Amino acid sequence: MSLFCGSVKIIDNVEIAPGIFRMGLECPEAAESASPGQFLQIRCFEGLAPLLRRPISIAAADKDSGMIEIIYRVVGEGTGILARKTKKDMLDIMGPLGKGFPVPRGLRRPVIVGGGIGVAPLLFLAKSLKENSSRDSYGRESDFCGLAFVGFSSGEEVFGMQFLEDCCFNVEICTDDGSEGHKGFPTDLLEEYLKHIMPIPASNRENAKSAGDSECTSASSAILPEAVYACGPEPLLKKVKQIASMTKIPTYISVEQRMACGVGACLGCAVKSSGGGYLRACRDGPVFEAHQLIL
Amino acid sequence: MDDRFFEREYNPYESDASLMESKSRHADFADISVNICGIAMKNPVMAASGTFGFGEEYAGLYDISRLGAVVTKGLTLERRCGNPPPRIYETPAGILNSIGLENPGVEGFIRWEWPRLCRSGIPVIANIDGDNANDYYRMARRLSELDGLAAIEANISCPNVEKGGMAFGQHPESAYEAIKAVREGTNLPVIAKLSPNVTDIRQIAEAAVNAGADAISLINTLQGMAIDIHKKKPVFHRTFAGLSGPAVKPVALRMVWEVFEAVRVPIIGMGGIASWQDAVEFMLAGASAVAVGTANFIDPFAPLKIISGLKKYLIGQGIRALNEIIGSAH
Ligand SMILES: Cc1cc2nc3c(=O)[nH]c(=O)nc-3n(C[C@H](O)[C@H](O)[C@H](O)COP(=O)(O)OP(=O)(O)OC[C@H]3O[C@@H](n4cnc5c(N)ncnc54)[C@H](O)[C@@H]3O)c2cc1C
Ligand SMILES: Cc1cc2nc3c(=O)[nH]c(=O)nc-3n(C[C@H](O)[C@H](O)[C@H](O)COP(=O)(O)O)c2cc1C
Ligand code: FES
Repeated sequence: MSLFCGSVKIIDNVEIAPGIFRMGLECPEAAESASPGQFLQIRCFEGLAPLLRRPISIAAADKDSGMIEIIYRVVGEGTGILARKTKKDMLDIMGPLGKGFPVPRGLRRPVIVGGGIGVAPLLFLAKSLKENSSRDSYGRESDFCGLAFVGFSSGEEVFGMQFLEDCCFNVEICTDDGSEGHKGFPTDLLEEYLKHIMPIPASNRENAKSAGDSECTSASSAILPEAVYACGPEPLLKKVKQIASMTKIPTYISVEQRMACGVGACLGCAVKSSGGGYLRACRDGPVFEAHQLIL
Repeated sequence: MDDRFFEREYNPYESDASLMESKSRHADFADISVNICGIAMKNPVMAASGTFGFGEEYAGLYDISRLGAVVTKGLTLERRCGNPPPRIYETPAGILNSIGLENPGVEGFIRWEWPRLCRSGIPVIANIDGDNANDYYRMARRLSELDGLAAIEANISCPNVEKGGMAFGQHPESAYEAIKAVREGTNLPVIAKLSPNVTDIRQIAEAAVNAGADAISLINTLQGMAIDIHKKKPVFHRTFAGLSGPAVKPVALRMVWEVFEAVRVPIIGMGGIASWQDAVEFMLAGASAVAVGTANFIDPFAPLKIISGLKKYLIGQGIRALNEIIGSAH
């Protein structure tokens, strides 16, 4: 049984940006089986209000040390209580839950698109993509160079960028207010990049601007991105889905929905399926192929 | 996993002073098995409809055959997609839900869920919900063909659908009509699941028993609502939703108490049960078994903790069999 539920020790709980915390947890069971995109159901409070567990993505997992990490933004009661926990407190968690991002072997140009706290699970993803990049079917090292387009509301909220760079991702930052990086949204950058790299009709090509001077985008226009991965607020996912529908690149998005059970039992976390009816964000997702959902 | 081991691992009640005190005076055995209108259960703790899927979802955490019985998600004649999100909203010590009976339909259930469920080694109770009496009849008949199904729970209390559901459970005449239809469709035990959204629950219970119900389960969710103060609109598309969880427990307990005085069939009590103490209260009020719903979401081990807590309570009290306490607070 790979699902864990119980009390684990908090290793640290640090504010890494205003209102954003990173918490380390000691949980060998979850660390062993976690994959990027999966989440935990965290019981922030032992009493009866707030009652429900809160879903928080796994931002890192290390099998060797048995540690997992979460990164969360304080937005209400539950996350507020979480932020006041300290080192050595115990925390009741359940996980890893849900279907995460597929991480095929040997990808060379994966693209990740993140907005705000949605960057958290993408850190775990970036690491796995890098780790799996060299193991193509011939066991060769590859010229892995991922691309990350990330957006935050302002410069002071930015987190995880060094980590992405260490995972061999070229990072392009946007902020809503322009206080760091480009002013605008990461999906604008994704669109520009794809226009630059994809074979497009000559009439459109003139408008296509280079996505920047990075090595990857300018030098190796022959290598198309093999996959696009996105997590962030709904408008970002909508835009990514729209872009995906114009390319043939497999695109995966991680969605949020209010949850009760987190395991697929209550049908509370419905997201609209393009095949009719609903899918469960907690069990069928939270990661879906973009075309699976109506956003 | 060995029962004893489990209790030591998860049961925080060992240190309960009142139990410890009386423990040594009595035998360390208590029979918590129950038989409710022919459904033999090794303990009285069931998983409530709609909170346990079709039994598979929690199987990654523990062996579900440790429970007394499992009640399926509410089934309808045809498959249903359910209500648009949001479907869940948290309230103090409770949740509002508006799932809208999303389910694969009776045929989908038989085809996709039953083959696995029937091998789970635990009584399975099918919860059904009809738009009209004929639906109830047809579903009961079809489900009776299944070899090994333990009982049918007729939900005449779902607050989250357009037609049928709770409307049946709000008047003695329509409750009678729906339960009668189920009764005519099956020889299996029939459990009538009542809505708390009524003035006098005793009248509904009596009507259900007169129509042939072998047992009564209560309560389904209490109708409530929430308003989004920024959008200045109700949170739920259907405006009203069903309240469950610890917040509703006192109401549920009162209704079990009332129904126990009104009818002579066994009662399955539910509504906010989260601990063994809650379960004991329901039994003292008259419930022969209990179902755990919302508490599964908060602590998936809650049903197991309740089972072991009940056992310890009886031993501590020097009571040999559970049925000695049923209704004994009256
Ligand atoms: C699969 C998944 C992964 C997530 N990963 C992260 C993460 O890594 N870091 C992070 O900071 N946040 C994450 N979230 C969002 C996080 O769950 C909410 O911010 C959190 O539940 C808010 O709880 P609260 O008590 O502080 O806020 P409140 O506003 O007090 O919560 C009230 C209710 O709304 C629900 N709720 C509020 N916002 C959301 C939301 N966006 N999604 C789901 N339920 C919500 C709460 O669960 C609760 O039931 C994730 C959500 C999902 C579904
Ligand atoms: C998410 C959810 C879905 C439910 N679905 C059903 C259902 O399909 N059929 C039914 O008879 N009751 C349904 N119920 C009601 C429960 O079975 C139970 O009667 C009620 O929630 C009270 O118990 P609790 O407070 O322990 O949850 C549902 C409850 C919840 C919370
Ligand atoms: S949260 Fe219960 S099914 Fe997804």
